[in-house]
Amino acid sequence: MELLWLAIFAILLIGYFALEGFTIGVGLTLPWRPKAERGEHITAIAPFVLAGEVWLVGLAGVLFGAFPRLEEPVITENHTVVVLLVLSWVLRDAGLWFRARADWIVWRRGCETLLTVGSVGLALSWGTLVSALIHGSVTALAVLYAGIIMALFALHGMRFAAWRLRGGKAGALAVSAIAAAVPAIVLIAGFAGTLLDNTADGGALTAMAWILGPIIPVMAFAQWWVWRTFSKPSDIPSFF
Amino acid sequence: MEALDLARAQFAVTTSLHFLFVVLTLGLAPLVALMQTRAVITGREIHERMTRFWGQIYVINYGLGIFTGLVQEFQFGLHWSGLAHYAGDVFGAPLAIETLGAFFLESTFLGLWIFGWHRLPKWAHLACIWIVTLTAYASAFWIMVANSFLQNPVGSELRGGKLVIVDFGALVTNPNLGMALGHTVGAGLWTASFVMIGVCAYHFIKRTAEQEFFLRSMRLAVWTGFLASLVTVGFGYAQFGVLGDTQPGKTDGVEGYLANMMTLGNLLTVISFLILPPLLIRGWIARRRILLGLLILCVPLPFIASILGWLVREIGRQPWLVYNKLTVADGVAHVSTASVTFSFIAFTTVLGLLALADYALIIRAARRGPGDVPLGARGGPGTSASAGTPALTL
Repeated sequence: MELLWLAIFAILLIGYFALEGFTIGVGLTLPWRPKAERGEHITAIAPFVLAGEVWLVGLAGVLFGAFPRLEEPVITENHTVVVLLVLSWVLRDAGLWFRARADWIVWRRGCETLLTVGSVGLALSWGTLVSALIHGSVTALAVLYAGIIMALFALHGMRFAAWRLRGGKAGALAVSAIAAAVPAIVLIAGFAGTLLDNTADGGALTAMAWILGPIIPVMAFAQWWVWRTFSKPSDIPSFF
Repeated sequence: MEALDLARAQFAVTTSLHFLFVVLTLGLAPLVALMQTRAVITGREIHERMTRFWGQIYVINYGLGIFTGLVQEFQFGLHWSGLAHYAGDVFGAPLAIETLGAFFLESTFLGLWIFGWHRLPKWAHLACIWIVTLTAYASAFWIMVANSFLQNPVGSELRGGKLVIVDFGALVTNPNLGMALGHTVGAGLWTASFVMIGVCAYHFIKRTAEQEFFLRSMRLAVWTGFLASLVTVGFGYAQFGVLGDTQPGKTDGVEGYLANMMTLGNLLTVISFLILPPLLIRGWIARRRILLGLLILCVPLPFIASILGWLVREIGRQPWLVYNKLTVADGVAHVSTASVTFSFIAFTTVLGLLALADYALIIRAARRGPGDVPLGARGGPGTSASAGTPALTL
């Protein structure tokens, strides 16, 4: 049962980096694209954002439910970084959610700025958090980690845009997804033992497994359906 | 203020903001699903237009539910790690089930619904909004399971300094759960009813071109409010019996909130149960301009009543975090006052501003009416958001 929850935790963390990495990447490279192309790029990631970010919502839930004693070392002891991470996430989402709700040019540019600031903030705070978890505290190395994660996400975002908008290769996107997931894989490899030593009581693990077991195939189907439905561009106006 | 007070204040502010948006989500979701079901079965345009117009208000509102919900989820770890240590093996289970088994699906299918218009087969698209509705209510159920455990920690026992689950069935049949959940569901539908009534009233007063559209919407909203008032008030009173058994004396310190909530509840009941249904006859309601103006002023009232209800439930639990087991002072994390101050100011400012922006956008969409709805637009001239409409008219 402990191994099952370690596996679920690992899949969620890796899934988050692979599936949210490109939306963050598109957000943080937005200022380098011509103004006329920005809308197109935002439209391209829009249908994938809700299905991608929810992997982290699930991960945070599993951290609390299956590894409650790791809440303190992971979240409490990295208070400022986690606050900045969540704030960045909120600002990124708000930029996306609000942008197309008014056609005033200043409004749209403002929302694009929120989207970029939020995306940059997410990459930076993930870099800092990963380095703090690996080295035990925030050191100068955080800059290096943040730079690596930002580069991986930016590459993943560029590959996604090429695939979705200009008929680029799906294989290249898969490779950048694996690259974007490297920080997650490193974390799991480094902390698998810690996770296994800190699982919740067996009663909780069993109850959660029984209830979630039948739902997991539906979750996988929903994710597959999103990718099947939105992999091709269309001329139907996008809501975001 | 000390770290504990600030952490409590932050929890109160973000939870209240969260529920202001969640309560409308819970009420609007089944109504939009119902509208779309009629649209798919009858194939009539009016039902599709209703789905898109009210669905758009639902989606704009939903955004703040997500933003505040993210903060909500992480602040357990930020400020309440004592709770995770002591009761995480019990309290964490319904939260994890909520995020994976309910919200994960809700969010994924909501994306399919928002962006799947005219791309998915009609029945598949309809199924998406029903799954979103179902999982939203599943979310409400699991969150209330978690909250009810804090009120009345059943199904668990203390082993080695921490609570563990001994009877999961007792958690989901907690006496503090059922009546409160029914009360919450009723409050959601009741709130949606008042929001819809307010928007319809605006269009009747302004005599816009969409009289049939808003008369149909008004009928749905009034009958929803009629039923919701019974459900909310019924389950509300039913809770007093449970409290007498599990949390005697709970309302002693919160009489003020309770009295105000019940006064609001009585006023809303008079409106929903007695005044509005007869006025539906021959569309009389559309011509009562003074009454319509008053109905617009009533829109905030169910929101205020909902927050007062939560204040009674949560402040009434003090000083306990887990009733009779763990105090809030023992549950708070060891975080410096400076850190908590930073997070309190940052989250309150950002979420507060975003909430105001969201309400402005909802009002804007409501005033524009069903003639210009980007959600579900097919493309081509005259249907998209940017089709020659004036800039940001609020």
